[in-house]
Amino acid sequence: MRRAALALLAAGLAACSSSTPAARDTFAVWDPYPQFAAESDWAKTIDKCGAEAGVKIQRQAFDTTDLTNKVLLAAQQRTAPQVLVVDNPVVSTLAEAGVLRPISEAGLDVSAAAPNLVSAGTLNGQTYGTPIGANTLALYYNKTVLTAAGVDPASIKDWASLDAALAKVKAAGKKGITFSAIGTEEGTFQFLPWFWGSGAALTDLASTQASGALELWKSWLDKGYAPNSVIGNTQTTSWQEFATGDYAFAENGTWQLQNAKKTGFEYGVIAIPGRTGGTAPAPTGGEFVTVPVQDDKATETTAGKIATCLTSPDRVLAADTALTYVSAVPSVQQHQIAAMPELKVWVDAVQNAKGRTGDNLGTRYPRISQPLWGAVQAALTGAKAPADALKEAQAAAAAAK
Amino acid sequence: MRPRLAAWAFAAPLVAYLLVCYAYPLYTNVNLSVRGYTVRTFVHGGAPFVGFENYAAVLADPTFQKAVVNTVLFTAVSLVFQYTIGFALAVFFARDFPLSATLRALFLVPWLLPLIVSASTWAWLLNSESGLINALLGTKIHWLTSPEWSLVSVTIANIWIGVPFNLVVLYSGLRTIPPEVYEASSLDGASGWQTFRHVTFPMLRPVSAITLLLGLVYTLKVFDLIWIMTRGGPSGSSTTLATWSYELGFGSMLPRFGPSAAVGNVLILVSLVAGLLYIRAQERA
Amino acid sequence: MRAWRTVTGVLLTAVMLFPVYWMINVSLTPARDLRRSPPGLFPSSPTTEGYERVLREQLPYFGTSLLVSVGTVVLTLVLAAPAAYSLAKLWPAGRRVLGFVLLVAQMIPGIIMALGFYGIYVSLGITNTVWGLVFADSTVAVPFAVLILTSFIAGVPDELLQAARIDGAGPWRTFVSIVLPASRNGVVTAALFSFLWAWSDFVFAATLDSGGALKPLTLGIYRYIGNNNQEWNSIMATAVVASVPASVLLVVAQRYVAAGVTSGAVKD
Repeated sequence: MRRAALALLAAGLAACSSSTPAARDTFAVWDPYPQFAAESDWAKTIDKCGAEAGVKIQRQAFDTTDLTNKVLLAAQQRTAPQVLVVDNPVVSTLAEAGVLRPISEAGLDVSAAAPNLVSAGTLNGQTYGTPIGANTLALYYNKTVLTAAGVDPASIKDWASLDAALAKVKAAGKKGITFSAIGTEEGTFQFLPWFWGSGAALTDLASTQASGALELWKSWLDKGYAPNSVIGNTQTTSWQEFATGDYAFAENGTWQLQNAKKTGFEYGVIAIPGRTGGTAPAPTGGEFVTVPVQDDKATETTAGKIATCLTSPDRVLAADTALTYVSAVPSVQQHQIAAMPELKVWVDAVQNAKGRTGDNLGTRYPRISQPLWGAVQAALTGAKAPADALKEAQAAAAAAK
Repeated sequence: MRPRLAAWAFAAPLVAYLLVCYAYPLYTNVNLSVRGYTVRTFVHGGAPFVGFENYAAVLADPTFQKAVVNTVLFTAVSLVFQYTIGFALAVFFARDFPLSATLRALFLVPWLLPLIVSASTWAWLLNSESGLINALLGTKIHWLTSPEWSLVSVTIANIWIGVPFNLVVLYSGLRTIPPEVYEASSLDGASGWQTFRHVTFPMLRPVSAITLLLGLVYTLKVFDLIWIMTRGGPSGSSTTLATWSYELGFGSMLPRFGPSAAVGNVLILVSLVAGLLYIRAQERA
Repeated sequence: MRAWRTVTGVLLTAVMLFPVYWMINVSLTPARDLRRSPPGLFPSSPTTEGYERVLREQLPYFGTSLLVSVGTVVLTLVLAAPAAYSLAKLWPAGRRVLGFVLLVAQMIPGIIMALGFYGIYVSLGITNTVWGLVFADSTVAVPFAVLILTSFIAGVPDELLQAARIDGAGPWRTFVSIVLPASRNGVVTAALFSFLWAWSDFVFAATLDSGGALKPLTLGIYRYIGNNNQEWNSIMATAVVASVPASVLLVVAQRYVAAGVTSGAVKD
């Protein structure tokens, strides 16, 4: 009798273990915000969204430059996270690698987000994530320095007027402009407003318009309007130079707004001018929330719910405030302007911004961006003339695979 | 226990450890280098075997020549200075004096620091606008942002990092020379310099040889330092084989795994050749 | 004469440690003065906010770093010392090949090792564990430790070992009671380097341990390296605070290296 019961028990246990595995109850969320610790609002928001979806959250934060390869490695080992927040130009790479689920299949709703921002995460007609927020570049200026040099920031409408302003600042004994031209994606990011503002397109790096943009930067170094250190500056280093109060202008992003208030001098912001006027299209920064491919559909659906929760208009305002990003949702943008009127310049800039991987460039973008920053470096160090450097870059970009 | 059995019993854990730990990563790297990987096949498998295609592409790339030249210069200059300075310091510390133990310990502090901190500090010091070196020297040299000086800058920082290693190993070697040798030498009427040239230096030859060889192997691997200071630029002027391997795999948003692994293997091969030459020289001695 | 040596020694150390001084300088500098041109040797308006943050946030990471480093030292010595004894005194067949393999092991760049380990660690489920990191860090130290210990043990006079054998001691007893104490210098040197390599390791930590709660301080620094912004005074403050206990350890250890090899063997 007892033996039979034991046998039944054993069979029952065996049957239990061979049936479908228990639903996952802890979801891994990876993001590139190591500056937000477990007690931060961002982490708490993720936990809340997880609780609403009925799961526990285990969050891991990585350095943003590491995150792409970490995700690829994890996906290879089938341990990709369930929700992934990642820098927008990387989304197409991950999509191409088959790591991400299209939002239509994951149940992620992006209808509220502005189309020009979503396009960075679109590949071959499918969208692979939704923006958590956006940031972009503009020109911060030091009011004290400009007033002393007799420059009115409102008069800066195009490249010629900007050059004139820089000349006046130099004559008054101050330094002109600082930016980042480092040999990484940051350098291309900072060059793009001028590149696009000249009318050039990423599909042809060697156009005359592109040379014009690079020659502008080179002329600033030659005339002493910009310091040589820009060749090695990150955007943070460039900001630190501006914060000393010696510079009139700094090309930097939305995320510096909180720091701008701490500099101790009065600052203002103007949009980056295009060559002949208007606002130059600037590249969109900011991360996307995506759903990596999992072994079962139920997990992906729940992940989609968490992702939607994170980017829903009511939740996303808190996240964007913490990151100092402009929201990707137009209605929330209005809320932000109402709370902080100085954000208007940034909201306008974001509405004019372009995704780097948009225009269906997708994974071609990294192969274009790298020769581009190489050309910028070669021209600024004087190793090559701008036109020659760009010609070589275009050849490299066209040949790369 | 029979001597031969004892010999193997003591060495066996190490042998097992070596096989497990080093063979697998090497195999993975060789595998990566002989396949044509895209991001998709990296994640999902199925990358085709392409033989030496990656190696051919790497060798044909104009960056290769530049990287090799930079690697040779960087390594040779670093070694010469690290060794000489380390040796001089070791001789200086060989005789005890008040505080000598503490000072010797302080010389190791550069090794305590995470590389991101020490490399960033050097980058700060060598900044062309706000760096202390330019301020102290009264110059306006573009240490990190010009093709002429970038390799010099990273070499200086590397020498700084390498001195403690040379100091410690050579000092230990110096301390194992029995004092009787010095006594005999001074009894023979030899001056300090003569003692050094004909007694100390030759006696340290085995230690020197291993210090230089290890220094070579370690310097060939250096990449964090250069990457943080100059990213291998501008325009590849401070790119070595190690930094190039990293740049191919992690430097852009679309990694090139095959070429990255290929460059890594070329680097290991160069080390290997150096190691074989060392063994050959040892046997001849 | 000795006083001159001390003075010269202090000067040389000061020159060598000047970048460390600069590190301390930056750690006390408020954000807006970080790129002041021309730079000052002293922070004009020092701030302790970097240190406050570090003491508030980084202490658990120090604990983990200490744990990992000590663990690496233990593992390295346990693996390396017996093997070095064998290579130096017992001479197994194929010891030249073994020596060469040890050299080759050190030629593999860290990133290749880390990537190779990642796959295995993930499939075994041992990422984000302290001892997983200890094992990985030991791969940097073990070959060097074997080489160093082999040359030190080779310097132990054979007469000592023969005397032990005559007394009836087997290889293990000889190893523990005679060889180890006599090569104390080498053991301390090997331990020192293992500790330093594990303490400042970044590659293995970033690849194999970036997710857990127990992170070493090289990763703890990333709290100050956001996706768009870096807080340099906090980063430098972390390095300064982290170096203090480790420097103390170094000073203590150096006293052992000061003693000669033969003196150790004769006295003990």
